Amino acid sequence: MVRVKSRYLLCEINVTDRSRLLLLDDRAVAAAVRASVARMHGDYGAALCSIRFSVKYLNAHTGIVFLRFPKKCYRLLWSALPFITCIENRGQKIPCFLNCLHVGGTIRTCQKFLIRYNTQQLHRMLPKCKNEEEKHEIQKAILNCTLTKRNKEAFEDEFGSDKEDDSDDDNDEEEEEEEE
Amino acid sequence: MSVFMDLNLVHSPDQSRLQRLVETAAHLGFSTVAINYVFEPTAKKKQIPSPMPIKDLIPELPIVQGRSRPIRVLNRLTVVMSDSSHFRPTAAEYRGFDLLAVQPTTEKLFHAACMICDVDIICISVTEKLPFFFKRAPVNGAIERGVAFEVSYAAAIRDSTRRRYTIANATALMESCRGKNVILSSAAETPLELRGPYDITNLGVLFGLSDGDSKEAVSSTCRSVVLHAETRKTASGIIYTVQVPEAPPCRAPEDTGEAPAAKRAKPGAVIDS
Repeated sequence: MVRVKSRYLLCEINVTDRSRLLLLDDRAVAAAVRASVARMHGDYGAALCSIRFSVKYLNAHTGIVFLRFPKKCYRLLWSALPFITCIENRGQKIPCFLNCLHVGGTIRTCQKFLIRYNTQQLHRMLPKCKNEEEKHEIQKAILNCTLTKRNKEAFEDEFGSDKEDDSDDDNDEEEEEEEE
Repeated sequence: MSVFMDLNLVHSPDQSRLQRLVETAAHLGFSTVAINYVFEPTAKKKQIPSPMPIKDLIPELPIVQGRSRPIRVLNRLTVVMSDSSHFRPTAAEYRGFDLLAVQPTTEKLFHAACMICDVDIICISVTEKLPFFFKRAPVNGAIERGVAFEVSYAAAIRDSTRRRYTIANATALMESCRGKNVILSSAAETPLELRGPYDITNLGVLFGLSDGDSKEAVSSTCRSVVLHAETRKTASGIIYTVQVPEAPPCRAPEDTGEAPAAKRAKPGAVIDS
């Protein structure tokens, strides 16, 4: 048996106001991608996009989406993604842009990458903590990341040198980690 | 992983917006950005803008995504040339900028910019239909001199007609330069117009670049542009003069100890002026 090959794009939805991310759902993201592909590549692109395209996963707290494209034409469809400027859901427009973080052949590799990426984000967040309690919680969350257990040295290296520039809730990230 | 650069963030008097731009760029993984001051000699404001020191502009530089170093911010001047007298190579005002770019509007000026002008970047207009063809001879001359061509993509994101112009002009350029010495930059005014480095690489394929060339367009070509700019300021990058602030003599030995060894070794001599 030969399996049907796909490419999974791990994208991050960037918005100016983080609270608006919660308005998103996967159908809205899929519609935005389809509209952008149709705008950029016309009927041909729309046809390719209708075969095996789907939004596999959406985390509204962190703004992470997994998009599945057929392997044959994923580059063409990907080239339409930078032209998404807003996602419309239930009459509300959310200005945003998609930033592709990783391209993988299976969902599993994407998940591994995402956990590593989220751990990195927690490290960046650490120096921004205001009080000891927050700091403790984030440290606990970092140690909870199980799939890729980081060795202690790497932890010590990044401790204190990295920084997070988004001012989002710490709890969101922790929930994210536990879900994994 | 290579080092990504975005050599065009449009300067605006609004400081908080610039700060957010730089923060978003750092979040996306760009390790060097340049703030672009546009100067049009034909416009009413005749003065060349003077660059603001980066320290005043952004008090605390954000850390780049995936690295432990803060982002590097440069200053860049773009002169829109509609007459050959507009670009004055000896002007003292140009010295304050790290990068120098021109945007020629006629074929003659394009030829001059490629062959004679002492610049780092030649901007390709993306908001109008190209008024002239890119001829092989000046383009090859520019590549030989190490001058890069810039295509910016923010206009393409904004609306459909400019997207067509951007793609058309970019493809016309790629035909004559075959993907060498091209940089892709954002020309973003708001943080939402920036795109991630991998997306830009894929966008390059749309502009007619090959896979390898479009990756170079956001990384190594940009690096060579920055190095080219340094050689313009120094004597071929060999001798470099720095202004040493009047320091009390007792602190002098401590200062020399702090200078990174790698930086010391490269320039042949450091001359105080």
